[in-house]
Amino acid sequence: MMKQSLFNKLSQSLEKREEIFLITFSEHSEQGLIGEKALIWPNGDFYTEAPLSPTIQSKILQSCERLIKRKRSGTFSFHWNETNIECFAEYFPVPLHLIVAGAGHVCEPVAQMGKMLGFFVTVIDDRAEFANRDRFPDVDEVICQSYMQYFKDIYLSDQTYILLLTRGHKYDVLSLQELLKRKEKAVYIGMIGSRRRISGVFEELKKDFSMESFDHLYTPVGLDIGAETPSEIAVSIMAEILKIKNQKSGLSLSTRIRDYAKMGFHEGATN
Amino acid sequence: MKELQFLYRMMEIQKGGEVAALATIIRTKGSTPRKTGSKMIIFSNGTIEGTIGGGCGEAEVIRKALEVIQTKRPAKHIVDLTNGLFYEDGGICGGIMDIFIEPL
Repeated sequence: MMKQSLFNKLSQSLEKREEIFLITFSEHSEQGLIGEKALIWPNGDFYTEAPLSPTIQSKILQSCERLIKRKRSGTFSFHWNETNIECFAEYFPVPLHLIVAGAGHVCEPVAQMGKMLGFFVTVIDDRAEFANRDRFPDVDEVICQSYMQYFKDIYLSDQTYILLLTRGHKYDVLSLQELLKRKEKAVYIGMIGSRRRISGVFEELKKDFSMESFDHLYTPVGLDIGAETPSEIAVSIMAEILKIKNQKSGLSLSTRIRDYAKMGFHEGATN
Repeated sequence: MKELQFLYRMMEIQKGGEVAALATIIRTKGSTPRKTGSKMIIFSNGTIEGTIGGGCGEAEVIRKALEVIQTKRPAKHIVDLTNGLFYEDGGICGGIMDIFIEPL
């Protein structure tokens, strides 16, 4: 059972883009305390409406430290008054921010999938007939503004993923320049475009920016799955974003097991 | 963020006075169909929202949750998917998960 006031605190914290842990007692010698909740912020702040002594509170904080550091959900237990107390700590990360610049054909499935995957999705375009709620009823933000102005001071962090899918390559490049000038960096900037066009752009940009500034730039955008239609392109793009987010190879999971398959899946097969 | 929506649903259900239980995976060992933190809401008529992985394990949890709804006391349940690997009725994943079930 969760109290409304505690839930409000949790959701407010996430709205303010502050990550938070929800603690649930899963084992306690006092039956009445099982299921009770508390909130912990990474800075050590503690909130609960359950009758918990300060000693227990600090015990919980202590035990939770490892999970806080690793930003992970998990279960921990500790001894107190010769009884065992077990808590489940659930990590609520701040939602990752996906910014899609250019509200055209590809943007629609990308924005939809972004929402499906739990991103906070912003769509931006400088044309009101494209950047409107009718076209994007499900995303978190639809912004009608000039791209350059928007990227000049939008908040960037290692939780920001940006896609440049505007109607003209010119706007993509202008936006990119604006982003490369910024001191803070997005973790991913994907720019659509053909290989040939992009190499031209690189020649231009190389004069003004160091090679390291391109570390987070992914262009042409997406994984190599032969995507052609907007939906296919969206899958290819979102797969690449997940690959970066989860720091994985992007290969088929079967790749490694194929060698074993050649051996016929025999148990204890040796080379 | 899905988990937050579950909590939101949970608050709605509590406010509406409906009788239900929330099951959460609080610990996993080995390969499991869903990760720690995954949730499922079980109503007193046996219907569910969300999944903790489906199959026999989920059916066990639903049964247990109906008990929790009746007794109004939280309970823990361990789903063992290590048995019957490769058999039709067994879990295909081969891990173990601890489920915490609480009344709403």
